[in-house]
Amino acid sequence: MKFKLISCEIFFREMEFLLEQSPHAIDVEFLQKGLHDIPTEEMLKRLQAQVDKASEQDYDAILLGYGLCNNGLVGLRARGVQLILPRAHDCITLFFGSRKKYQAYFDANLGTYFLTTGWIERDEVAEELKELSIPNQLGMDMTYEQLVEKYGEDNAEFLKEELCDRGKNYSQITFIEMGVEPDDRFEKIAREEAASKQWNYEKVAGDLTLIRCLLNGNWNPEDFLVVPPGAKISADHTEQIVTINTDT
Amino acid sequence: MAKNEALYEAVLKGKRKDVSSIVNELVAAGTNVEEILMESMIPAMAEIGDRFSRNEAYVPEMLIAARAMQAGLDILDPLLQEAGHEPIGKVAIGTVKGDLHDIGKNLVAMMLKGAGFEVMDLGVDCDVDKYKEAVDGGAQVILLSALLTTTMPYMKEVIEGLGNCGAKILIGGAPVTQEYADEIGADGYSDDANTAVKSAKIALGLAA
Repeated sequence: MKFKLISCEIFFREMEFLLEQSPHAIDVEFLQKGLHDIPTEEMLKRLQAQVDKASEQDYDAILLGYGLCNNGLVGLRARGVQLILPRAHDCITLFFGSRKKYQAYFDANLGTYFLTTGWIERDEVAEELKELSIPNQLGMDMTYEQLVEKYGEDNAEFLKEELCDRGKNYSQITFIEMGVEPDDRFEKIAREEAASKQWNYEKVAGDLTLIRCLLNGNWNPEDFLVVPPGAKISADHTEQIVTINTDT
Repeated sequence: MAKNEALYEAVLKGKRKDVSSIVNELVAAGTNVEEILMESMIPAMAEIGDRFSRNEAYVPEMLIAARAMQAGLDILDPLLQEAGHEPIGKVAIGTVKGDLHDIGKNLVAMMLKGAGFEVMDLGVDCDVDKYKEAVDGGAQVILLSALLTTTMPYMKEVIEGLGNCGAKILIGGAPVTQEYADEIGADGYSDDANTAVKSAKIALGLAA
């Protein structure tokens, strides 16, 4: 079969590793990381443009290397080609290999920031996205110096803590080891970042099952949403996470 | 009753220290404490909220104004109590279970205080029981906040858990929509801190 993969670059190493093993012919388009931070309609616009472009060609399916991603995929419409989307809130489900495993870990480890190779080496947000980024528009990316200049020293201290501290209420870094790391450099960076913040550090084994199933065409309905031509993706606010909307 | 321009401006511009000293002066001069609150400070917070809605002020401006307001309230609160002043309503706010993101929740809490509400801040990671306690404690409006689609579905559990508790339930946060509010039977939804204040007033019949 012939597939088109449209994926967030956060999965770059995992996808490269698994693409070699897939029995199918897969064309790949990686999109910039950070789309979940821009307004949902902007993320949707970018993904729809990619889906539309791919739909002009003769693919058997368009595979989406995404989750619900802050509702950025809500409204994405399949044109002439079916879309395949993992049932996931975000990429961390795909790294854990199961949304149940992720939920269990999430519940037991509140305040955890997850790191993988992608989250470490592709953490730079593109300039073009920065302007649209909601956290940026809210002032969350302002430096202390910028805050002092604009709001005075007394308020700058307060804003730094109240608005600009991205790690607020977080207390742990968990490195998810996917088995695609060239060596221990990523793990080391994660461990050092946790130490510098005086946070707890944990390493867990990831699981490539979901991504492998996506690329190999094993789309069991429990883990994947198959969107037939003409239908749209919708959020369903249950454990199924996403559903099909056939409204025109 | 009269507006004190200097105090109004100090709250509006987020000048915490100026607010404290002006309030102290006014109190020392025997100015009616309700007048200080109602004629100068609350109008300043309403103005910053409206400027935000018109895209003339942004979140940092709103946060520092709210902080300056709080500095004034720290002085006035005990005096207002002595004077028998009643808040316009009692509300409780917290992020839902599993969600530790509280920037938005804190801003809404401060704007509600700035509008004259008594606010019970339940903090983060609140389960159904925590909201129930707030209702038992007299909260007339319960505000639920979530930043993640992972945690948002817990709002439904809270609404089911609270049943016909008598309090109005308002929801908000990045992934929350009016459709979701309708789906789970919330009494209202807001997409920013200024409309959250309006929604709370509407819920209590204080505004239309």
